[in-house]
Amino acid sequence: MPLTSLLPEIVLALAAMTILLGETAWRRASRFWVIPGAAAVCAAAVLAVKVPAASGGMFVMDGMGRFLKIVVASGALLTLGLSSGMKSWRPRGISWGAFVSLLLLSTVGLMLLVSSADWLMLVVSLELVSVTCFILTGFLKDDRRGSEAAIKYFLMGAFSAGLMLYGISLYYGVFGTTSLNALRTADLNVVPRLPLVGAAFFVLAGLGFKMAIVPFHMWAPDVFEGAPLPVTAFISSAPKAAAFGALLRALPNLDGLGVSGVVAILSLLTMTVGNVGALRQTNIKRLLAYSSIAQMGTVLMGAVAGGDSGRGAVLIYVLFYLFMNLGAFACAAVVADDAGTEDLGAFSGLARRSLPLALCATIFFFSLTGIPPLAGFVGKFSLFAAALEHGWAWLAVAAVVNSVVSLAYYAGIVRRMFFDEATRPGRVGLSISLAACVAAAVAVTLGAGLFPDRVLAWVRSSLP
Amino acid sequence: MPLLSLITFVPLVGAVLILALKEERKGLIRGLALAAAGIPFLLSIYAYAGFTSSAGMQFMENLSWIPSFNIHYKLGVDGLSLPMVLLTGLLSVISVWASFGIEKRIREYFFWFLLLETGMLGVFVSLDFFLFYVFWEITLVPMYFLIGVWGGPQKEYAAIKFFLYTLAGSVFMLLGILALFFASGDPGARTFDMIELSARSPLFAGAKFWWVFLALYVGFAVKIPAFPFHTWLPLAHVEAPTAVSVILAGILLKMGVYGLLRVNAAILPDLMIKFLPVLIIIAFINIIWGAFCAMGQRDMKRLVAYSSINHMGYCLLGIAAITGSYSAAGLSGAMFQMVSHGIITGSLFLLVGIIYDRAHTRNMDEFGGLASKMPLFAGLMTVQCMASLGLPGLAGFVGEFLCFLGAFGRTEQRIFVALSVIGILVTATFFLKLLKDVFLGEFNTKWEGRLSDVTGRELGTLAPLVALTVFFGVYPRPILDATEAAVRFLVDKTSAAAAAPAASTPATSAAVPLPAPATAVPR
Repeated sequence: MPLTSLLPEIVLALAAMTILLGETAWRRASRFWVIPGAAAVCAAAVLAVKVPAASGGMFVMDGMGRFLKIVVASGALLTLGLSSGMKSWRPRGISWGAFVSLLLLSTVGLMLLVSSADWLMLVVSLELVSVTCFILTGFLKDDRRGSEAAIKYFLMGAFSAGLMLYGISLYYGVFGTTSLNALRTADLNVVPRLPLVGAAFFVLAGLGFKMAIVPFHMWAPDVFEGAPLPVTAFISSAPKAAAFGALLRALPNLDGLGVSGVVAILSLLTMTVGNVGALRQTNIKRLLAYSSIAQMGTVLMGAVAGGDSGRGAVLIYVLFYLFMNLGAFACAAVVADDAGTEDLGAFSGLARRSLPLALCATIFFFSLTGIPPLAGFVGKFSLFAAALEHGWAWLAVAAVVNSVVSLAYYAGIVRRMFFDEATRPGRVGLSISLAACVAAAVAVTLGAGLFPDRVLAWVRSSLP
Repeated sequence: MPLLSLITFVPLVGAVLILALKEERKGLIRGLALAAAGIPFLLSIYAYAGFTSSAGMQFMENLSWIPSFNIHYKLGVDGLSLPMVLLTGLLSVISVWASFGIEKRIREYFFWFLLLETGMLGVFVSLDFFLFYVFWEITLVPMYFLIGVWGGPQKEYAAIKFFLYTLAGSVFMLLGILALFFASGDPGARTFDMIELSARSPLFAGAKFWWVFLALYVGFAVKIPAFPFHTWLPLAHVEAPTAVSVILAGILLKMGVYGLLRVNAAILPDLMIKFLPVLIIIAFINIIWGAFCAMGQRDMKRLVAYSSINHMGYCLLGIAAITGSYSAAGLSGAMFQMVSHGIITGSLFLLVGIIYDRAHTRNMDEFGGLASKMPLFAGLMTVQCMASLGLPGLAGFVGEFLCFLGAFGRTEQRIFVALSVIGILVTATFFLKLLKDVFLGEFNTKWEGRLSDVTGRELGTLAPLVALTVFFGVYPRPILDATEAAVRFLVDKTSAAAAAPAASTPATSAAVPLPAPATAVPR
């Protein structure tokens, strides 16, 4: 395997170290460090397309890896923009260099995760992501809620890592190796059934924690609410996308393992629990946390369906979800900055105070619902199509019913923005970097919704 | 010239331009909105002039859009859709003009309004099922805002109820569309092309397509609205601002009937025939239930809203005639009824809006003797109420007569058709009562000096509709001729499906020879 295939990760890791040391050396605890951070992420994204392919051993660099690395890099870039543009984040005297380098390290972990070809590699990269995310969650040290969330996240994460390692040990017992290839090449009729299914479940539990799949979702609402808004935006999108990538790579054929029925039920439960939970929320971060649980349940449907269409639909959806979700968070950041609260009431009358922003937020929320011609619709369409194609009609019916339920709370925010009177005077201003985040997310959400074929073709060609 | 694309997207361009203007430039916004709604109407008249009524799909446009799913940007009109396009164009111009009185957030108002128009026109001109669905859903969002921001006292509840109801219907439609796609052939030959799907309709026969049929039916039935999915309608109609009620009753309801004919009848004719015994009962319930509910109303707008449920029942009755000996009459009647109901009910909502603007109430009990104070208003209202109750010589009669004629052509279940006639009687009762309570009798003196007759603009919006009501009442041929070929196609389609031995071997779908694409266009 050529070492150059690892260049994206190497560049990011070096940039993270340099920024950390640079801040100490120059004592420039300012937003300045976002710029080299963003530059490094862009460089890594470009390299992810250019570097030579690699396979075998611990690390693969293939089409899916490239695709997901770009997804992850987009998430990191938008998060950097979001954090540097949010006013209410600034006065707390945080160390920007540490924040940026932790985010970059987390991105390194995610990039390694989607390229892992071996369980050990997968666990190590997952731990890199987890540890950096724990710290980011509790980043504001004087914030008790944030610290509490970090501890919760840490305990749950440690527990799930343990489960996952146990599953891997079973896997090793079955195949005598930790290589992911062993499962793909094995004849499933001769390997012992029970330990294999056990391994699949424990591994699923470990990844399920990251993706916040029911019943491993309990941490999500509290952590999402407690973490600073840019961190919430990040952990709700990029790690989930990468975890789905790892799932597709590690367990490409749930049907063959005989666990697809159970996972289908988990998918149904996840969507339902997420949507029903979201209906009653009054805090935007908590609402988006439940919404993200529900959305991941829908994505899981694609993994259940399997096949090229199912896997493709998962990849399409995590890409689109990342943009519409981060767009929604960017709008929430503007509103929270303006009102000084993350309560949903802060959205009241936004259309009177900034019509473009209200329209953008509407695009994100309706895209999350799955209204055409927005990207979320194309994603859901692909997922429904995959489910019907592979005989999961009941799951597709459950998913569309859930889409309708989700409209109730997404439209609830839209209602506040357009129907309610403004509770605060004046126009809502937004910084350049937040405006850029919103614009980029709108461009993808609308552009990919109207002309999705390029993305669909790209995904199809990148499937392993 | 991509005529249909222009018709569809000129309003969208207007909407985006309006959004770029400043809220203060009200005159410019209104003018732009009128132009953006007027151009498609003029273009659709131009299309009608060049339309060959004896032929099938015309003005076709076809571009590849999403090759991964074999989705095309395919447009075209036939006798089924062209009258709807014309009606949409006409009612949109009139509604925009009637909205000139709106002062609140007019930039957003016209933005949503024109976006809605693009969605509606798109539904009628799309020939690709995916594209159809996209436009179908696009209509929901602007309607949500139009009701929710500019509506009446219960606007927020009405808006979300409308949105949830219709979205719930349409997501099932999406699954139905996907199921048709997957059943339409081998992986390489699958299609969303509605004409092609219709040509392959033998593939979709048999009991295993029942759930597909029902999923699609539910999506359309919510819009029509057919019993038992009608409960969103009175609330949405009453709470919506006047011009939006016109669009809601005049066009959005027709999207449901249109879909029923374009999809259920043309693509799934076999199951459509088997569904008729149920459909005729639903039509009967719509007619009777709508009529009696309307009779119980004291709020004029609510009365007109319930009368729409009743009138859509006639449409369904005409469609249910599809296997009878007068099936062509029934289908022509249903299509005629769609147009005439759009014109008549649209004008009734405008008329009720006029009195509400002056009196801020629509309660019939508070009026009386208005005929002497507002003679022109009384005259117009009387003509349109008479048309709505089906007085011969006015447009409403032609459609109802043909629907009943067709329905009696069916030998089975005549009892329901016979009982439905009661609906006409009840309709006459409540409209006459409305006229009596509002225009005759003692004048309520609290309105002294407050009720002026219709203004020039109001007359301008009403005059074309009233003129068309009379014109189509005495000379219905322009509509009937235009729809003739489409009616014949649907009749042939369903009688062919009825003649086929129910396609008892759907399992061997791959073996069924697919018609060559070149011959797929129905005449």
